[in-house]
Amino acid sequence: MIQASNIHKTYNDGKVKVHALRGIDVEIKEGEFTAIVGPSGSGKTTLLNIVGGLDTPTLGEVHISDTNIAQLSENELIDFRLNHIGFVFQSYNLIPVLTAKENVEFLMLLQKRDEEERNERTTKLLKAVGLEDQINKKPNEMSGGQQQRVAVARALASKPDFVLADEPTANLDSKSTANLLDIMLRLNEEENITFVFSTHDQRVIDRAKRVITVEDGKILSDETR
Amino acid sequence: MIFKIAFKNIWRNKLRSWTVIIAISLGIFGGLAVISTATGLSDMRQNNAIRTYVSHIQVHDSAYLKYSGLNDVITQEKGILSFIKKHPNTEGVSTRLRIESFIQTAGGTSGVILNGINPEDEKQVTNIAEKLQQGNFLKTYKRKPPILISEKLATKLNAKIKTTIQCSFTDANGLSATGVFKVVDIFSTSNSMYDEVNAFVRLEDLQAISSVYGSHEIAITLKDEEQVERFREELIAHFPEQHIASWRGIAPELGYADKMMDLVMSIFLVIIMLALAFGIVNTMLMAVLERKKELGMLISVGMNKRKVFWMIVWESIFLSLIAGPLGIVASYLAIQFFGTHGIDLSFAAEGLRSVGLESVIFPTLNANYYILISVLVVSTSILSCIYPALKALKLNPAETLRTA
Ligand SMILES: Nc1ncnc2c1ncn2[C@@H]1O[C@H](COP(=O)(O)OP(=O)(O)O)[C@@H](O)[C@H]1O
Ligand SMILES: [Mg+2]
Repeated sequence: MIQASNIHKTYNDGKVKVHALRGIDVEIKEGEFTAIVGPSGSGKTTLLNIVGGLDTPTLGEVHISDTNIAQLSENELIDFRLNHIGFVFQSYNLIPVLTAKENVEFLMLLQKRDEEERNERTTKLLKAVGLEDQINKKPNEMSGGQQQRVAVARALASKPDFVLADEPTANLDSKSTANLLDIMLRLNEEENITFVFSTHDQRVIDRAKRVITVEDGKILSDETR
Repeated sequence: MIFKIAFKNIWRNKLRSWTVIIAISLGIFGGLAVISTATGLSDMRQNNAIRTYVSHIQVHDSAYLKYSGLNDVITQEKGILSFIKKHPNTEGVSTRLRIESFIQTAGGTSGVILNGINPEDEKQVTNIAEKLQQGNFLKTYKRKPPILISEKLATKLNAKIKTTIQCSFTDANGLSATGVFKVVDIFSTSNSMYDEVNAFVRLEDLQAISSVYGSHEIAITLKDEEQVERFREELIAHFPEQHIASWRGIAPELGYADKMMDLVMSIFLVIIMLALAFGIVNTMLMAVLERKKELGMLISVGMNKRKVFWMIVWESIFLSLIAGPLGIVASYLAIQFFGTHGIDLSFAAEGLRSVGLESVIFPTLNANYYILISVLVVSTSILSCIYPALKALKLNPAETLRTA
């Protein structure tokens, strides 16, 4: 479970202060398929970064799986992210010099998992995202949709508690978007994987099971369908 | 895995990596080229000095060294000679009678040291016999006793082969003595200063004219020059009355030159390593700044900073591991080639000769220098990528991911 309470975030951009988040309380449970929606600049990225331990709130606390992440040292926090949170980014951000298979395997290597488990899991995940025939391709040899599917497989490889995705479909065409959503939903339903993603694409919002709307750094509405 | 990524990363910007690799190899090549040439020069100077006038060990009467008296001949000459001739490490031994003399021809005058030698013995010790215009090492002559003078002296005295020369000095009894010689050949060593003040005559001729029946100097060359000091100590133990010196004692300037050379080489190495360090700092800094977003992603998904640090360090180690052997192999081949064929500097022959050098240089390099350079290159490249690597650690993942 992720619990964020009274989250404030103020950016000090030179002399200008930007209040990106102004008091957010949110709780995300295992198995959710949640969209964070809102116009550009409303604070979605900031919220996801704080919830995922990439950024620290100016005020408020974040508990992930019963750990108050503010109490972790920098290196502990990196390890914590490795073992508890999977990330998918808008611009895919795969390691360009590695193949699809190696990209997926990468986090398991950081976790020091043995070779047999790595191979088995990599094969299974690439199959789950429909890329079993692309395993030896490098990112620049794949389409955006394929790269983002590799990114989802990579995020799952470390067996995280949550997968956080900041605008995962923003760079994809509608067909790839639908395809990625199908895969994420199936993983959510069949494997009970928790997904939290931000978006402002209505077709993506329509398929979410819970929709949290943010505006001006505050939660405007929170509905579970 | 980190190795693998690091290794693959260096080929992302092939042009830049090759530029750095070539720069590093050229640096190594340049450094080793300078050091080997300098070593070659220094060895040559040393060998020339040993082979033309110093030899490995010299024996004198203690008084001769102080007063240069004509009568201060070596007292135990027979015993010393038989000891030296029996020694297994002896290559050659020559006895010399040395007399300072006034020398004149119809065309000029000069001061010179007449070296009374036994040509067959002298051949075993010095290479004057090889430096002759006609190869007549006091061997063929008619009525007048033969003398060898240098080209330099010949010019000064306006003499050539067959010119008659008159030498005057004070003999053993304090009377003035004069010898009339005929130039039978002209020599020219690589040391013009030496050439100017030395002339050679036959030992028996000089003894007869001067009435000094003995010798002032015994010069010895050894088969194994590493054993010089040991040989010297043995001689001293047997003949404590004599003054016995090794080439280091006779011509300490040869050793100073070595020390000077070491200093110059160290400065050179430092400059090369600085250039190398700047190259690596620059390249790796660029590589880090260019990949900010990717490094931010790696930290985001859980690659800890120690691993990020080592990834950057390994990248520059790989660069130097490719460049190092390249530069070292190139240098080795070049040094081997020029070490046998020589570098011809005849255009500067005159200048080189005045400091005791020949115009063809044979570069040579102690194997230790290859090891030293390799160690220096690798450690410099590791040290100089620390700053860029630390830069990578300061990245804030949330910030870097925002940048497009
Ligand atoms: N590093 C930063 N420095 C200053 N202001 C920032 C920074 N990051 C985000 N902001 C501001 O915070 C607000 C929220 O941004 P963000 O979380 O990216 O919104 P969204 O993802 O919904 O577009 C915006 O006004 C943005 O300009
Ligand atoms: Mg955003």
